[in-house]
Amino acid sequence: MPTSPTLSPIPLTGADCFLRAFDSEVRRTAGASHLAQLVLRLGPGLDTDALAKLVAEVAEAQPILRAPIRRPLGVLPPAYCVDRAAGAALPRVAVHDIPRAPDGAPPPLFAERLNEIHEARRGQLLRVDAVRYDGGAATDVAFTWLHPLFDGSGSERFLRWLDEVGRGVRSAADLPAGSARPPRADARTRGDLAMRWRARMQASAARAPRSLAGPLARTPQRLEVEVTTFTRAETAAITERARKLAGFLTPMLFYLAASVRAHHAVFQLRGVDPRSFVVPLPANLRDKGVPGDLFGTRVSLLWFQVFPETCAELDALLVELKAQRLALIKDGMVEAGNAAMDYARWLPQRAYAAMARRAFRGELCSFFFGFTDEFLAGMETFLGAPISNGFHAPSVPPSPGSAAIFSVRDGRLNATHVRQAGVFSGFELVRFQKRLRADLLGEPG
Amino acid sequence: MRNTVAMEWTREALTERVYEILRDDLLTVGADFTPKSNLIDAGLDSLAVTQLLLAIEESTGVWVDESLLTEETLASAESFAACVHAHIAHA
Repeated sequence: MPTSPTLSPIPLTGADCFLRAFDSEVRRTAGASHLAQLVLRLGPGLDTDALAKLVAEVAEAQPILRAPIRRPLGVLPPAYCVDRAAGAALPRVAVHDIPRAPDGAPPPLFAERLNEIHEARRGQLLRVDAVRYDGGAATDVAFTWLHPLFDGSGSERFLRWLDEVGRGVRSAADLPAGSARPPRADARTRGDLAMRWRARMQASAARAPRSLAGPLARTPQRLEVEVTTFTRAETAAITERARKLAGFLTPMLFYLAASVRAHHAVFQLRGVDPRSFVVPLPANLRDKGVPGDLFGTRVSLLWFQVFPETCAELDALLVELKAQRLALIKDGMVEAGNAAMDYARWLPQRAYAAMARRAFRGELCSFFFGFTDEFLAGMETFLGAPISNGFHAPSVPPSPGSAAIFSVRDGRLNATHVRQAGVFSGFELVRFQKRLRADLLGEPG
Repeated sequence: MRNTVAMEWTREALTERVYEILRDDLLTVGADFTPKSNLIDAGLDSLAVTQLLLAIEESTGVWVDESLLTEETLASAESFAACVHAHIAHA
């Protein structure tokens, strides 16, 4: 059943606060917000004026899109203060006419957007950039938002909803009903879960990871985004290989293993011991079987840790990752991670990230990873313009400085590498990409 | 030696147990969800499948490895239970 927007503050989830803590830290040390981005590559037919009007219309109807994020009464857990959204500016929509890159790559402008600051306290949560080529023969659109506003799944649902509103299928006030089951465990159980999560993370610290960027230092964030789109034939081969090696239920582990080995190859080139690879894998906490919410981050994190000696062979690494996934789920680490993040809602923003980095000698993890499977599955057009491609490009702080994100659009795999400029030398980047491609396709590396 | 607890599970009883776990714990489904409903359409994902396998292990004492599952197995609670039952019979 559709819901009307409430004007009561909407509390952030634990995962939202986890991300907000990194936003605070990255702002302090690197002068950028912790953002996420979804890029649509469209054919002809997008009316950019209509897009701008549509974004304004939905932001008027759904105040969460420009709600200041603050702690009610100054001490309560942070919330979207939707009652104050009317005083906030509407999301910015900018249209740019620039020449298309010779190689067809997305415009560098989109990566630059990831290095900017969104003022959460002023409700600057979302902005949209449309880049028109050849007078509108094609358009790239980037939706960039402060990370708690959407997770990957929610952002795709938001795009579908936006398209429906734009086509007149539903009104801007007609938001699909969300669902939020109350926590099933009591406070004591959740406390125990959080402590189990903490103990597990502390055990990981015995061989703390080392990222390619090294510990976080004060350095301006300068992200680069590179998207490698595989052909349909290559994607079919990669998908089949993922099913064969990782099983049809857990293809994400195949991409995770390939990403670990690609980073390991760079460490080997440097002659540096990575100590271990610690990588968080998002686990979707949305209720299964209902459409679910558009807004907020509804994920837990499964923290994998593998050692360099396990990385020599892809098969062996996959066996290890599969065993760890099962053990993590069996040990309740999905629920434990969620419970731990819930406690972060009450902590000062900096405390959470500081605790993590202290345990891992200044590091947060080895790299960011994501596998979102089919991108906007079954959606052929956006506001009447054919979708030729699309992908997610979340920002990554200067440390760990590297993120590998995978999704499939229309039978073609997009491998998106978001990295801090300067973390990879040109030679290292070639090594990284060669190793990744070799593992994905099963070619000699 | 065969697991005597597991051997007590008939295919029908397993179907009912799988259906209960899905309906009550893992999925948010309406009254139209039946043991014949498609599980992927009902929202079952890889995390929920693993949680289902763990719940089955708790009930029967038998672990069914994920590698034994296929799209056909996950077509419904019935087909899933049939796979588990066959595995138990050979365990």
